[in-house]
Amino acid sequence: MVAVAPHSAVRRRRRKARESDTPTVGRSRAGTIAANAAGMLFALVMFFPIYWVVNTAFKPAPEILQFDPTFYPHGFTLDNFSSAFHAPFFQQDLINGVLITVGAVLGALVVGFLAALAIARFRFYGRKAIILVVLSVQMVPLVAVLIPLFLMLQDFRLTNSLLGVTLVYIVLILPYTVWTLRGFVQGVPRELDEAAEIDGASRFQVFWRIILPLTGPGLVATSVYGFIQAWNEFIIINTLNEQANQNLMAWLMQNQTSKGTFWGPLMAGSILTALPVVVFFLIVQRNIATGLTAGAVKG
Amino acid sequence: MSVVDFPSAPPAPVPPAASPAGTAAARKRRRTTGGKAPYVLVLPCLALLAALLGYPLVRMAVLSFQQLGLRQLFGDLPPENVGFDNYARIFTEPAFYQVVGRTVAFTVVSVGLTVLIGLGVALLMRRVAPSVRIMMIVAMMFVWAMPQLVATQTFRWLVDSDFGVLNWLIDRIPGVDFANHSWFADPVQGWIVITSIVVWAGIPFIAITLNAGLTQVPRELLEAAVIDGASSWQALRRVTMPILKPLMVIVTTLSVIWNFGLFTQVWVVRNGRPEEEYQVLATWAYSLAFKNNDYGLGSAIAIVTVLLMLGAMVFYMRQMFRIGDVD
Repeated sequence: MVAVAPHSAVRRRRRKARESDTPTVGRSRAGTIAANAAGMLFALVMFFPIYWVVNTAFKPAPEILQFDPTFYPHGFTLDNFSSAFHAPFFQQDLINGVLITVGAVLGALVVGFLAALAIARFRFYGRKAIILVVLSVQMVPLVAVLIPLFLMLQDFRLTNSLLGVTLVYIVLILPYTVWTLRGFVQGVPRELDEAAEIDGASRFQVFWRIILPLTGPGLVATSVYGFIQAWNEFIIINTLNEQANQNLMAWLMQNQTSKGTFWGPLMAGSILTALPVVVFFLIVQRNIATGLTAGAVKG
Repeated sequence: MSVVDFPSAPPAPVPPAASPAGTAAARKRRRTTGGKAPYVLVLPCLALLAALLGYPLVRMAVLSFQQLGLRQLFGDLPPENVGFDNYARIFTEPAFYQVVGRTVAFTVVSVGLTVLIGLGVALLMRRVAPSVRIMMIVAMMFVWAMPQLVATQTFRWLVDSDFGVLNWLIDRIPGVDFANHSWFADPVQGWIVITSIVVWAGIPFIAITLNAGLTQVPRELLEAAVIDGASSWQALRRVTMPILKPLMVIVTTLSVIWNFGLFTQVWVVRNGRPEEEYQVLATWAYSLAFKNNDYGLGSAIAIVTVLLMLGAMVFYMRQMFRIGDVD
């Protein structure tokens, strides 16, 4: 960790240089103040809906159904969370969601990593065609093929089962997984492979000892992104499965009863459902942007 | 880097490799060796895609020429071939053209707004103080991370006719009565709400991606432009935008693909029973298939949707291919 201090010093100097050197055209003091104000207003407007969910979730029922809204919970309560948590099917659908998501991510990771290895490390006949397939299926919305998917899974008695949805979710996240992992495998210098091979390592050993450990962080980032996608899905699972076999998103969707919407528990349920997504997202957000647009700027 | 060797001054020609044996050929040979290995590696991936995406696509195409309803589904009747009947039904249905028009109009408006605001925000981010920039990024990260479904439920709560904070806020304006105002009675207002959800949720991806792209614009170039007497508008148009263009193409195409397939927001906002004025292609196909149990007709609409979408994909594929080719 010797490098830390000089590195941050360089960064500080660079930042200073960036600020002092920016072109001065149209950069009046008033302009800067206006820009800062606009930036703050933008942040406020963007964040407000999220704040309002949190605000509602902690209010007692009478305060929610009050014609003059309160801008912070006057009677702070956790009741909404407990009633969401104990609502019918919540815990069941929570467990289902975790099982399906973990299964889909692991499946996509194994299958996708193998394909990524082939694309990144071998030049073979049909390689371009496979890249084309992977890229184009990324754009077929699964909702569009939901009808035949439903009929097909029904033939195999896989509707209203966790396995059927898991398989569909693997395909949902597979194209992204292959494409991103390909980039990470390519990041491992080929010279390392060759050196190992010269030292007598088998191809499998090269994979196991060199490529796999070095792509570890990439695998984590990719799997988190897959987790987010699979966790967020609700149309497919809502169509294929009945309530006992759904996930939390589908549970949220059906939370409106004939007596109207119970906003407090719904908002609390939304927070509980979105929390893993938000946390994971914040961890890997850098990789998400890079993954989606890899090479677009510098390429 | 000096100002002169940019933009895209042709790179200094690489001197041919000293040895005639050519490292390029050697590298190629090294890469080719693999025999059956690469095929074995991609096999599971291709098999899964073929089974769960390829086959359903084919079956959807077949279905679109069939009559398949509850009787066929549960009565053990074979699906009936009806030729182009489903397509004929769609194309003679006035509602179809309204749905297509609505879907296209929504896509154009929502993508236009998202990209323009996103670009504006990205430029603003380069102008504000670092602390304000962090505030903007944090707010956008939370918005970005919100699942679509949660975001839509959130907006439903904001615009709720009785207890929504939006009505209350507008009602504060003197002379305006917005108490108990229903935002979905009038489809124009309803669509404003739906568009707001989509644009609000779409801005972070575009703004943050474009902001990352903006950091790649060399400052030397901008300075040179300014010294040469360019206004900031000219510098933006002539220097920044050309460099940003590939990214703009990608984010715009992605937004078109996402927004053209609009489903969740409409579905949730209308409680899973969208009225005619709220139907778009995806919800319409879904309603016909799963609510009316007319799977053939639903498939025909889905096919039309996919074909329409292909137009937008062409650009995206070209861009992605250019990236893939850099390997």
